[in-house]
Amino acid sequence: MKKCSWPIFLALLAPALAWAAAPNPKLAIPEFAGLAQKATESVTITLDPALLAMAGRFLDGSDPQDAATQEIIKGLRGIYVRSYTFDKDSAYQQTDIDAVRAQLAAPGWNRLVETHSRKTRANVDIYIMIDNNRAIGLALIASEPRQFTIVNIIGAIDLDKLHKLEGQFGVPKLDIDLSKTPTQGAQK
Amino acid sequence: MSQEIESRIRAALRPVAPSEDFSRKLLARVVADRPGRPKPRRLLSASARPLAWWLTASLAACLILAVGVRQHLEQQRVQQSGLEARRQVLEALRMTSQKLNLAYQAVKNQSTSLTDEESGV
Repeated sequence: MKKCSWPIFLALLAPALAWAAAPNPKLAIPEFAGLAQKATESVTITLDPALLAMAGRFLDGSDPQDAATQEIIKGLRGIYVRSYTFDKDSAYQQTDIDAVRAQLAAPGWNRLVETHSRKTRANVDIYIMIDNNRAIGLALIASEPRQFTIVNIIGAIDLDKLHKLEGQFGVPKLDIDLSKTPTQGAQK
Repeated sequence: MSQEIESRIRAALRPVAPSEDFSRKLLARVVADRPGRPKPRRLLSASARPLAWWLTASLAACLILAVGVRQHLEQQRVQQSGLEARRQVLEALRMTSQKLNLAYQAVKNQSTSLTDEESGV
């Protein structure tokens, strides 16, 4: 009996270990309760798989924007957005975002784009998590003098679909080439 | 003396044939005394019956109405949640693309300035 139970135990353990070892693209985004009080406008979006599926049912396939959105969210398992707008400069500290940045230093995350605009004083960092040559997560941190935004998208992100998204929302297409290996790990 | 009494008793107790209509009367009595079928008892009097019918019908109508209203409210709640989820998805994607645009503008400006430097502008 004891001999028989070992293979069963191992068979049960293997998927659990594989699941634990699998990269997790979901970020633990802090509550930012203090910042929310200071902000003139705050956006908190938490869309889990159930809500995404529900939203998908309420998108009109005949409308081009809705159709593009439907196509994008098809493979997604979650969208989390936190955005805070302030009425004066430097209302938030970079340390407020550090907790999120620290998570992006974990293995699996790759920095795709890091931009800094002197003109607008806006920094935008885009990270993606790749598993088996597929993007399974996206994180975006945009910090501007009076606004900071964190976006975390979980699921099979097709960058072609992101291109579509850019087009649909009036944003020009980014020349993102996945074949080029992005910077491994985040640079702090 | 005793013989006389005895004969008188015998005479008094002698079997006597029943009268002609005895059987008929007996049968008539038996039929009259037989307990008939119990009549079904009416719970309500004839005057209360339409009222009971209306009450039952009203109750059933109320029940159907309650179920219908509940279903309608549930459907409305689902629709509101769905529309709210849709609004949130569109808002999230709009914000994402807005920030992607910021990154794009920064990259574009950088590449433009590099090109300008190379061409000696």
